[in-house]
Amino acid sequence: MVAQFLQRRLFCSSSNIPQWSVKQVTKSNFSEALKEIRNHIRDADFIAVSLQKTGAFSAPWRRVLPLDTAETAYCKAKDAAERFQVLQFAVCPFTIGASKVVAYPYNFHLFPRDELSIGMPSYSFSCQTSYLTSMAQEGFDFNVCIYDGISYLSRVQESTAKDRIANPIPSTHLMKSSSTPSVADAVFMERIKSRVRHWRKRCKDSSKGTDDALINSLRKLIVGSEVYGSRPCMSIDVCSERQVHLALEMLTEFSDDLVPLIIPDKGGPPKAVRVVLTSSAEDKNLLVRELESLDEEQNKRVRGFREVIDAISASQKPVVSYNCLNDFTFIHSKFLAPLPLRMDEFMCSLRLVFPHIIDVNHLLKEIGPLRKATNLPSAISYLKRRFFVPLDMEIPHQAQGNESKNHGHNVLRITYLFAKLSSVLKITPHTIQTMNDHLTAVLEGYTNILNPCSTSIQETIDEEAGVWMDNTRKVSTKDLVFLWGFKAGMSSGVLKSLLRGSHDVFSEDFEVRLVDKSCAIVVFWRPGLAEVLCGVMGSGTSVSSVLREMISEGLRVAGYEAYKRVCGSDFWEVDLADSFDNALAEPPHEFLAADSGKESSEIYLSSDFVINLDDL
Amino acid sequence: MKKQWLVRAFSDALTVASSTSFTRPFCSAISSFPVKKVTKINFDSALEALRSHVRDADFVSVDLEMTGVTSAPWRDSFQFDRFDIRYLKVKDSAEKFAVVQFGVCPFRWDSSKESFIAHPYNFYVFPRKELPADGPSYEFLCQTTSMDFLAKYQFDFNACIHEGISYLSRGQEAEALKRLNLAYEDEVVNSGGHLKEVRDIPLVSMSDVLFTERMKNIFAKWRNGLLHNRDGWSQFEGDSNDKKKFQTIFFKMRPALALNGFTSHQLRLIQLVTRKHFKDLAYVRVNGEKSSEQKLVVYTESKDDKDLLVKEVKDGFRKEAEVKIKAAVGFRHVIDLLSSEKKLIIGHNCFLDVAHIYSKFLGPLPSTVEEFVSSVHKNFPYIIDTKQLLNTDNILQHRMKKKGTSLSSAFALLCPQIASASLNSGLASQLCVKVEVQVDDLRSSNWNSGAKHEAGYDAFMTGSVFVQACSHLGIDFKRHSPSTGLAHNEKLQKHINLLYLSWNNGAIIDLSSGNKITESSGTQLYKKRYPKIVFSKIVLVWGFPSKFKARELRECVSKVFGMDSVISIYCLDETAAFIQFSKEEFVSDFLILKESLDRNNDPISVLHPLSKLLEGGNTCATSYEVYREICSSPISRVLFADQAEAVGIKWKTKVVESREEVETQELESREELESTTKESGTVNSILDPPPKSGTGKRGDVISDPSYHNFSCDEIMDALYVAESQLGDRTRTTNV
Repeated sequence: MVAQFLQRRLFCSSSNIPQWSVKQVTKSNFSEALKEIRNHIRDADFIAVSLQKTGAFSAPWRRVLPLDTAETAYCKAKDAAERFQVLQFAVCPFTIGASKVVAYPYNFHLFPRDELSIGMPSYSFSCQTSYLTSMAQEGFDFNVCIYDGISYLSRVQESTAKDRIANPIPSTHLMKSSSTPSVADAVFMERIKSRVRHWRKRCKDSSKGTDDALINSLRKLIVGSEVYGSRPCMSIDVCSERQVHLALEMLTEFSDDLVPLIIPDKGGPPKAVRVVLTSSAEDKNLLVRELESLDEEQNKRVRGFREVIDAISASQKPVVSYNCLNDFTFIHSKFLAPLPLRMDEFMCSLRLVFPHIIDVNHLLKEIGPLRKATNLPSAISYLKRRFFVPLDMEIPHQAQGNESKNHGHNVLRITYLFAKLSSVLKITPHTIQTMNDHLTAVLEGYTNILNPCSTSIQETIDEEAGVWMDNTRKVSTKDLVFLWGFKAGMSSGVLKSLLRGSHDVFSEDFEVRLVDKSCAIVVFWRPGLAEVLCGVMGSGTSVSSVLREMISEGLRVAGYEAYKRVCGSDFWEVDLADSFDNALAEPPHEFLAADSGKESSEIYLSSDFVINLDDL
Repeated sequence: MKKQWLVRAFSDALTVASSTSFTRPFCSAISSFPVKKVTKINFDSALEALRSHVRDADFVSVDLEMTGVTSAPWRDSFQFDRFDIRYLKVKDSAEKFAVVQFGVCPFRWDSSKESFIAHPYNFYVFPRKELPADGPSYEFLCQTTSMDFLAKYQFDFNACIHEGISYLSRGQEAEALKRLNLAYEDEVVNSGGHLKEVRDIPLVSMSDVLFTERMKNIFAKWRNGLLHNRDGWSQFEGDSNDKKKFQTIFFKMRPALALNGFTSHQLRLIQLVTRKHFKDLAYVRVNGEKSSEQKLVVYTESKDDKDLLVKEVKDGFRKEAEVKIKAAVGFRHVIDLLSSEKKLIIGHNCFLDVAHIYSKFLGPLPSTVEEFVSSVHKNFPYIIDTKQLLNTDNILQHRMKKKGTSLSSAFALLCPQIASASLNSGLASQLCVKVEVQVDDLRSSNWNSGAKHEAGYDAFMTGSVFVQACSHLGIDFKRHSPSTGLAHNEKLQKHINLLYLSWNNGAIIDLSSGNKITESSGTQLYKKRYPKIVFSKIVLVWGFPSKFKARELRECVSKVFGMDSVISIYCLDETAAFIQFSKEEFVSDFLILKESLDRNNDPISVLHPLSKLLEGGNTCATSYEVYREICSSPISRVLFADQAEAVGIKWKTKVVESREEVETQELESREELESTTKESGTVNSILDPPPKSGTGKRGDVISDPSYHNFSCDEIMDALYVAESQLGDRTRTTNV
């Protein structure tokens, strides 16, 4: 939260951008905003997104850390996306012209309200207190969000909901059935045909007749006639999809003035076909249009905010984000489908919906030394110092009266940063378009998701932060071991000095870092030593007295495979040490055991990475 | 109606009305000033006022609002939940959700006015993280429907999150103090020992070497200046940059240099310099004003003086940290107050409330209900549940005209003159005990805050209901004032410390003894008779094809085991169901048959009537014990089938040996049951001991005379209950 405060201060001082106005969208102005933003998305070159969530991680070690591989980073991000909730979703379609950016920032307030009483989109969600507190300090209005936030359903939820919300579905297109009708079918068709004929005749007659109301209503009762709006209608009970089909077939052949509606049953096959009688061809068209707009309304109600996601997806425009892995796991799980178990499946699924995702963080790395900028504002100010990029930001929105409730500025920072970077890196909408043809280039755009280090863990700012020394080294996960069970409160320095000399493997240079307060990681720069240590600790032979004492006090060791298992498991504890103990007590999980094999991945460790334990 | 306890309403207009210009100290007309709203801003003063009110009170009523009740639909309380499972469900709820509002209302009998005086308080509570690096409790769950419900009644989430009072449980406080002591001892040990605070940094870069050298010179000059020449520091005056960076001040009666504008790396080097080269200089960090940290280099006269200084600084830190921890205790002061005053606590259907109080303010919830209950009893020796009171007392039942016992309907019935806020309710009002409300300087005997269902108002309603109930029970406050102790009043002894463990089937627990009783009066919500639940005859099935509903399940199983083999089907959710068989042996028969069908894929197996249930290959079945295992997991998946998978159940069919302790526990409760049966006749639900072994012996039929006595209607009723429960997802327990 300090970081966020500093961000804001840094940002304000480092960029003399006038008061930016972001359009705030809640339930009440959603329809109108949706219309607007659809147009803006259509005309935009890029779309920037930024999410405000109720939390990010449940324990210090559950953050994405520099020691994570893509797969473990994904496990952590997946867990967070399933656990927490998005409260604000800022979208900013923008165009980049010569030294001018035209942006249309919108900030959507979301709340997973169960609008349709079907237990969706979300039965419950978690909140991280520190997140809520820092949001409160920034003036976040929780009441607006919970009272008036827009709800939504994911694509998968919508398709399940379709069965549950019994709404008449107009059937406009009908396929000819290929199979030949059976005797039973013929009987069924004859029966309903005569019923419909009878009913239709009655309706036509009675409309001419001048019978009094009582007789009319009695007749309705006998014929089984109902009213759909102002038009007469009747229901045909069906008991299978086949019969629905037959009924529809019969009706289209029967007459032009009938409009069939399929009445779905909750969770089962349709239970009836409702036939509506129209008075003329125009009347029929009118009804069909009415039904279509009804359907659209219903969709809006069901999909809610997801209409915006669908619009972005349909536009196939490049989406710009700052923290791709975190943001897109959230987007996938809330608006598309439950997150798959494995990262590659996730990537496939995501790529189908958003073909181009650009991570600003990744672009920053392209600029060499700048790659170490740790957060948006510092990146912006660094870029300002290093490159002269004249840039005008134009926001055609009218400024809103209530400036104090103006949230979602991060999306504009992303837009601004991206615009600057793209001018430095000579990225134009055109080059992005041509990139389409180059699979490698597209993949390159995705590598940022794969790169877990892009989620900057060093958000904490102390005096020297902003840019840090470049001394990352590539390490194989085979050369990493996790140690836990040492004395509580021990620092990595103390641990290192204890280890040094306790065994041959520690005679050469190695690194020790705390992952959380209970567990440390040891990095061996020479291959093979990690295995030796694990073996020695397991057998307990040929160890020095220091190490033996530590082992007797509970020191334990595990390789990277165990860490992978811990990250992928549902059972984990706040302390990484406890999670390791749990995981090792259980037989290896089949899925991961099969997957792990002998391959090892490589990660980039910055030699001065420090995990701030107070940051939870 | 069921959800009303989650309601909170707060009207802005009423806040305005509470301003001091609107003071009508003894007005007789209907007043509508709000309940006393307490946030962290006015907490200290409110706590002081509350202390005296509680001290003088005859009893204190409480009510809580939470962010949710069930973490998954199947975690709701069901007919088929055994006592231990009911507790597990309450435990899960109390551990996962947060308390956002806490209503406390002390009631005092004023004999001069012949009236009770109530002081309703409404505390906004939020588990803000006040101390650095603390445990896992800083994440909480929100149930979407509950949040939406709170929103519908204008719950002020901003007030809660921005200004809510934070708290530490006793456990957390002890933990924090322990950690502090450890850190302190470590530092004391380390400061003299070999483990240095700062690792020696090899001076690799030239700039570091130069910087260190320069610092050494500056400190030497400064020290020499101090020793030889009072004006020694004047040499520095010329360099304005250095002047800004080094400022001579006095720290604890010693001259010191305040260091400004150095990076942390440079400070580390300075620390090294002072330690290596100056025996009489000490580098210390202190918290200056505005809690900004200040770094000082202090001159000391001797080594002893230096040690003394270091100790002083450290003690200072420790004191500060202790004060911080004390301050972080926050709202728990209220709970400690209620506990230490040993006042009679009144709640309405308050088992979940008590569990929340325990887990938030005392410590982690014990794993068994027995431990929980005895620990609660130690801290709160007298608790009366008004719902239990209204439901089990015949006089009150009569008085209630057998209407519902939800808080609002009880309040409307028993306290008409307050509820309807009309003065001329005639006879009724004469029968009623007068209750006068006081909030700050505002008083009224016909009070209506207009903010029903906020915690403070609900607490007031609960207390008012209790007062009227006492009067109907024949307690005359006018004759013998309650100061002798309501908690010891013989007319209340039948009800004290009895709480509903689960309202919907009348399971009651006695906090003082740990005994579990199934409510036996005929005045329950369910007046019809249901098949009694025998856990040893139950199979739990999940993961079956989605088209299977209770009816299909019954048909399918009946085809194999006979028309009257299935007593009842109870759907947990759309993926799981309990099947209660008429005979215990059917349980093992069913499981064995299922397993063999799963194993074999031959045509006979495929055509077997039970195969329909196994379609999809994900159907799992087991005896009742596994249900407990699944409930006790901290994981909560929305669907039961997903939950079972997440809990790590990999088998498809399992017969679990029942554990001895469970058995004895059930036996005890059965004895309890039987004794109550003798007293009052009808029993709604009887717990039978589970089988000695899950694989019940063939031929050894345990005769259960009840099972074949059920009419078709009764079975249909059971089904109906199952379905209605399934539909009722958002229900909460404080009915």
